[in-house]
Amino acid sequence: MIGRRVSYEFMSRVAVPLLSGAKGWRRRLLSRKGGRRTGPFGPPLECARKLKELTARHYLAGRYADGAVPVAWVTSGFPVEALRSLRFHTVYPENHGAICSVKRLVPELSEAVEREGYSRDLCGYARADLGSLAAGKTPVGRLPRPDLLCCCTNICQTVLYWYRALADRFRVPLVVVDTPFVYGDALPHHVAYVVDQLRELAEVAGRIAGRPVDSAGLVESMRLAREGTRLWDECLRTSLARPSPWTGFDSFFHLAPIVAMRGTGECNAYYRMLLDELKDRVARGVGGIENERVRLLWDNLPIWFHLRDLSTLLAREGFNVVCTTYASAWAEAGRRIDPADPEGSAARAYLHVFLNRDLPHRLSLMKRLCEEYGATGAILHSDRSCKPYSIGQIDLKDRLVEAGVRSLVLEADHADPRAWSAEQADNRLRAFMERFP
Amino acid sequence: MRAAAIAAQKKLGRKTVVVLPILYPRELFTAMDVHTVELWGPPGPPRGPEAGRIQPYACAVVRNALAFLASGGADAADAVLFPHTCDSLQGLATLVPDFGGWKKPVLRFHHPKGEDRPSARAFARAELSSLACGLERLTGETLDAARLDAAIALHAEIDRIKGALLRRRACLDLDDPALYRLLRRGEFLWPEDHLAELQAAEGRIGKERRRRGVPLLITGYVPEPMAIFDHLASGGTFVVADDYAAVGRRIPLGPPARGEDPIGTLAARTFAMPPCPTRAAAPARRMEYLSALFRRSGAAGVIVHVPKFCEPESFDVPAIRRLFSGIGAPLLHLEGELEADLPAQSVTRLEAFAEIVESARSAP
Repeated sequence: MIGRRVSYEFMSRVAVPLLSGAKGWRRRLLSRKGGRRTGPFGPPLECARKLKELTARHYLAGRYADGAVPVAWVTSGFPVEALRSLRFHTVYPENHGAICSVKRLVPELSEAVEREGYSRDLCGYARADLGSLAAGKTPVGRLPRPDLLCCCTNICQTVLYWYRALADRFRVPLVVVDTPFVYGDALPHHVAYVVDQLRELAEVAGRIAGRPVDSAGLVESMRLAREGTRLWDECLRTSLARPSPWTGFDSFFHLAPIVAMRGTGECNAYYRMLLDELKDRVARGVGGIENERVRLLWDNLPIWFHLRDLSTLLAREGFNVVCTTYASAWAEAGRRIDPADPEGSAARAYLHVFLNRDLPHRLSLMKRLCEEYGATGAILHSDRSCKPYSIGQIDLKDRLVEAGVRSLVLEADHADPRAWSAEQADNRLRAFMERFP
Repeated sequence: MRAAAIAAQKKLGRKTVVVLPILYPRELFTAMDVHTVELWGPPGPPRGPEAGRIQPYACAVVRNALAFLASGGADAADAVLFPHTCDSLQGLATLVPDFGGWKKPVLRFHHPKGEDRPSARAFARAELSSLACGLERLTGETLDAARLDAAIALHAEIDRIKGALLRRRACLDLDDPALYRLLRRGEFLWPEDHLAELQAAEGRIGKERRRRGVPLLITGYVPEPMAIFDHLASGGTFVVADDYAAVGRRIPLGPPARGEDPIGTLAARTFAMPPCPTRAAAPARRMEYLSALFRRSGAAGVIVHVPKFCEPESFDVPAIRRLFSGIGAPLLHLEGELEADLPAQSVTRLEAFAEIVESARSAP
């Protein structure tokens, strides 16, 4: 146990920063030799290197986490603050699924579970994650075995079925925080229900960690979570500038810390750095793409496996995605967190997550984003393996068109390239772009 | 049939609420003198172009329901109730009232998800009270505790007989198509009328085994198309154990435990149901339940009949396959899209499966 703990601390605090430093030095050397990226994009964000370091540190430390510290596998919308105060190492299978998709591993991993009887129609993240376990393969080296599974239904019900399968496999406790869908504002008994569940979570997590939740630690992690959300929001709002200093596609990658490290000082330090860089780019007029002509809104998850090609296609024509409902979702709900009322405010914050709210709220957010960010067009990614995000998009598109926003529904999948036709999508996107003066 | 049932209840001065799948506290509606009619699609092609407002990778239940509601198919009803069964139904519960398809009142009902625990008990109770308030607004009447008690007793008796019919169906003088037609009439009949039919059927349970053929366990979402039972019968098989979400999984495992008040009794009923993936029962508990059902019923094979794109049901398929493969029971996984009739490919698969089970049974 002590040996595992020493390895865990060494890897997370010493080895990874050293390795990343060496990589950075090599990269800088190469860039002096002319290795900088060219094409329709602006200069790459310096922070991207730090982001890679953060992610690498998280996953490398994770390899040594089981047996050293308590480990929880957690859904992205889960109220993690209590786990932070108990020093859990958290793993986000959705984030892992996104990495698998970027590395184009999903078909292989998915086939491993399709052989067991999982349907290809199920969520690509779930198939990637369960497939990774079945095939014993992951691009991050190794995921630590969980002591606890934590699932919150505020992003979808799919996570519930997915985590039930994980609980069955690992035979560890599953904590469900069930967040009733919100129409308008959450009802008082819905808030009370979530508060009760947060108390049950504290009890189970405390039992596994071997100590009760420390209230000062909880308040501190909540303060950090709220601050992190504010910083992320400020980063996104730099895109109000013309040209936008980055693209919405960049923001998909840079939201990893607010998803997977929310409530930590590390996360906030990262966003301060990113914010400084973005502000600097705004001051110098440096854009995320070279020639920003048309500004767009993106709805739904990214098409991870095709992001580079998609962003290049758009950027070449001067189209920049300057706002996304997905990245904004992480800037929205956290504002409700109030360290003075840890349970009640967390319940309200995690209930009012974007995907847990009705379509009028979603439409008003999309309209507001278009208006504020000057987006004259919208791409709604109809995501085959994310039904809760996709149902309603046809009507949303019609309403955006009525509001004067040229809109396109693009059929794809966030993780599985087998549900994607590049040629057809490119044709549709080119026809869409031709509609703009 | 459903339209006729609504018309009949209207004549009696009752309001009608259309209910989407799956679970809802019927007792509350009966106590408030409100007639309920369930909407499982309906099966067949969508009844109008509005189905196109939902992508084709969502299940046919929600796409067909949207088309049906938006085309005025349920206009004779006074309100619609959306239980929060899954993401797709949850999406429909905002799409239809907020963006068009239904202009009359809307009721919503959340089930606590996950295993039984104190927070879930308290929530079930609060949610039932909230739905009762919604019904009071709809009817202009006040919920009377004595009437709710009577409704609980009425539905407990309905459930008792349904349970007996399903459990002892091998001795029942009704074939599968007739039995399922009878059980599913409860989806739209006034409960007392349905009870009378069930009581008559109960009298047809004999002491001797009357059903011949290969006994099967069937699990899935909803028995649509109902022609599946005709094809099973013609293949020499019959259903001896039922775990359809629309049928067997809605019958409590025992008589209702008395709560501190009628709402408490109803809340307790939520946790007395067979394990169901839509309410996120632990897979181990569900597999244990299915295994016991299989053993107890003497089934010789298993059919898993799920609608395409149904996440809660589909996620459990691998565990069900593992379970029955482990005990050497033949299993057929049949996907459907709420067709009006069973496609020929599925019929062939059913016929082949019947032969496999039969030969496995007769093997030495």
